[in-house]
Amino acid sequence: MKKIYLIIAREFSERVRKKSFIIVTLLMPLLMIAIMVAPSLMMLYSTSDQKQVVVIDRTGEIAPQLQSSTEVMFIPEERMSKAEACRTFNEESGIFGILYIGSDVEARDSVQLITNASSSMIIEESIASQISAIIEHKKLLEYNIENLDKILASVETDIELSTFINNGTGEEETMETTSSGISYALGMILGMLLYMVIILYGQMVLTSVVEEKASRVIDVMVTSATPFQLMMGKIIGIAAVALTQIAIWAALVIAASKFLIPAVFSAELTATNDAMMQALVGTLGDTGYIATLFAYVALFILGGFLLYASLYAASGSAVDSVQDGQQFNTIIMLPIILSIIIMMSVFNDPNSPIAFWASMIPFTSPIVMIARIPFGIATWEIIVSLVVLYLSFVLTTWLAAKIFRVGIFMHGKRPTWGELWQWIRTK
Amino acid sequence: MDTILKIENVTKSYTGHKALDDVSLEVPRGAVYGLLGPNGAGKTTLIRVITRITMADKGRVLLDGKPLTADDVFHIGYMPEERGLYKKMRVGEQAIFFARLKGLTRREAERRLREWFERLGISDWWERKVEDLSKGMAQKVQFISTVVHEPKLLIFDEPFSGFDPINANALKEEILGLRDRGATVIFSTHNMASVEEICDHITLINKSKNILSGSVEEIRRSAGGNNFEVTHRVDDDTLRATLGDRAVIVGESRGIVGSYRQTNIHIRRDDDVRTVIAALNDGCDLRSLREMIPSMNDIFIRAVNGTL
Repeated sequence: MKKIYLIIAREFSERVRKKSFIIVTLLMPLLMIAIMVAPSLMMLYSTSDQKQVVVIDRTGEIAPQLQSSTEVMFIPEERMSKAEACRTFNEESGIFGILYIGSDVEARDSVQLITNASSSMIIEESIASQISAIIEHKKLLEYNIENLDKILASVETDIELSTFINNGTGEEETMETTSSGISYALGMILGMLLYMVIILYGQMVLTSVVEEKASRVIDVMVTSATPFQLMMGKIIGIAAVALTQIAIWAALVIAASKFLIPAVFSAELTATNDAMMQALVGTLGDTGYIATLFAYVALFILGGFLLYASLYAASGSAVDSVQDGQQFNTIIMLPIILSIIIMMSVFNDPNSPIAFWASMIPFTSPIVMIARIPFGIATWEIIVSLVVLYLSFVLTTWLAAKIFRVGIFMHGKRPTWGELWQWIRTK
Repeated sequence: MDTILKIENVTKSYTGHKALDDVSLEVPRGAVYGLLGPNGAGKTTLIRVITRITMADKGRVLLDGKPLTADDVFHIGYMPEERGLYKKMRVGEQAIFFARLKGLTRREAERRLREWFERLGISDWWERKVEDLSKGMAQKVQFISTVVHEPKLLIFDEPFSGFDPINANALKEEILGLRDRGATVIFSTHNMASVEEICDHITLINKSKNILSGSVEEIRRSAGGNNFEVTHRVDDDTLRATLGDRAVIVGESRGIVGSYRQTNIHIRRDDDVRTVIAALNDGCDLRSLREMIPSMNDIFIRAVNGTL
C-alpha cells in the first residue's frame, strides 16, 4: 500500500505543479463563463441592428397595422410595383428586404418576403404571426360582435404549470417541486462534465502509461513495485488530479456566480426570465438536494473515470506510442459517444426503457444516469447503477492489469486482438 | 560453494526464436559475476527472467535454494540496460522517490543519496531536471538508485555502456566496493577488459546457450593449455633436443636484448611441466619462463568461434 501511495503522490505532484495544469485550471472557468455570458451579451448589444423592411401592401389594410419592433422597422411603400421595389431597394440601399402582401392574403404565395441578405427565423416568424393576428382580428370584426375587444381581453388566459413528484402521502406541501427546464440544464451540464472528465483524464492515463513505457522507467520500477501497483497508482493519482481540478473549478464557478454574475448582469435582465430564475434559485437554494446531487456526481465521476481509465491504461501498455494507441482509443470512445447520444434522448423521457437500461449498463451508465438524476430518479435505481459500475470497474481493472503486466514490457509491433487475448490468459 | 542464485535449465522462446536454450549456472555468494556474450546472445533475456519481467518457459530460478518469488525481486537491485528516468522530474527528488519505493524513509533516503551524489561528483545536479543530464550523468543517478538501499543481490545490465574510461573506472571501483561490503554482483557486458579486472566468475552465453562457466582464473588457465614463453640462450636445435617429446616449439624464435632468445613452447601433458622446466634450466641457460594465459578477449572470441 505504501508503494501505491508513493506512486500516487508522485503522479499527483508532478501533474499539479505543471504550468499547463495551473493555466488550464485558471483559464477554463473564464472560458466557461465567457461561453455562458456571450449569448446574453450578444442579445443585449445586438438589438441596435434594426432591420428595415419595405412593405408593399395590395390589401391596404395590413401595412398600417404592422408594429415595428426593435428588430424590424416596417416602411410602407404605396406607389412602386414589386419589381420596381426590388430594383430600387437592392443591396446597396441598406434595406433588409421587401415584404409583399398580395390582395388575397390567404392565397398561395401571396405573402412574400424578399430579402437582400439571408433572413432569420425570428424575423420570419414575427412577420408571419403579426399578419396572422391582423387577419384573425379582421375576421372576428366581421362577425360584428359587440365589445369584441373587451371579450378578447377577458378570455385571454395564461396558465402556469406547477409540477410536483408524487410521494404517495397526498400532502402537497411535502412533495418535491420539479422543473424540467432546470433538470434539463443540470442534466446537460453534469453529463457533459462527466464526458469531458472521462475523455480528458482518460487520455491522460493513456499518455502517461505510454510515456512510462517509452522512457523505460518501467524496467527500473520492476524491482520496486508490481505492474498492478504502478497501474493503480497512476490511475488513482490522475483521478486525484481530476478531482482537484474540478474542486478548484467548482469553487471558482460558485464564487463567480455569487459575486461576478450579479455585478455583470443588470436587474432587468434577470427580471425578464423571472419564473425560470425563481425555479433556479429554488433548486440551488435547496442545500440538501445540492449536497446529494454533488455526492452522486462525485460517485459517478469517480466510477466512470476509474472504469475507463483502466481501459486506457491497458491500451497504453499495449502500444509504443500515443499514435499507436489511437486504434484502441477509438474503440474506447464508442460507448462514451453513445452515452452522449442516449443522454439527449433522456431529456425527452427520463424514464424510457433506453434511458433506464443505458443508465444500468456500466459503460454508458455514468453519463446517462447523471443526466437522469436531476429529473428525480428512484434511489434504488441509482444504487443499483453505482454497484454495477463499481463491480465493472473491479472487473475491467483485473483484465486491464493482466494486459498491462505483459504489455508494459513488450516493445516493437502493435499487438493484435488475438495477442491481447493471449496476454489476458497468461498466468 | 555457497550459492546465492541458481539458474536451472532455463529455456525461453519467443515466436520463432529461442532466446535461452537450457541455460544453467550458479552464482557464488559474494562474487562479482560476469554474464558475457555477443549482442543478442540472450544475456538480457536471462536477466529479465531473473527479475521476473519475463517468465521462463522451462526451468527454475532459485534464490538461496528456494524458487524465486515475486517478493524476492523487490530485494534485488536491478539496473536495466535502457536508462529509464522520469525526464521532467528533478534528479534528487526522483532518486528519493525510487529509494522510498525500496522501503527507505525519506530522511534516510536523502542522507544516503546525498552521500552517494557527493562520492560520484554529481551533487551539483541534485536540483536539476533529468532531461538536462548527459547520458553518463543519468547513468550515475540510475546506478545510485539501484544500490542505495544496499540490496544483497545486484544485477547490472551493461553497466559500462555510455561511460567514458574515467567514469567506467570509478564505476568498477564502486562495484568492487559493494562486493567488499557483502553484496553479490551480477552484470552483463561485452566489454572484456572490465571482466578481467573485476569478475571472479563468468558465464559465457552464445546463441542462447551457456557455452562456458567458471571462475575467471580457472577458465584462463585451462584455455591457456600449457603454453609457455621461454627466454633462453641456445639455438632451436638444442632447445628441441632438451625438450624431447614432452614439448614442442610453437612458431619462430625471436631474438631479444643481448644474446637471449624467446621461444613459445607447448608442453603436451600437465604432469610434465615441472620436468620440462628442470630440463630447460639445466640445458638451455634458462633466463625466464612465463605461462601464456590468454586474455578474456581471446577466450571470448575463440569460444564464440568454437575454437576453444
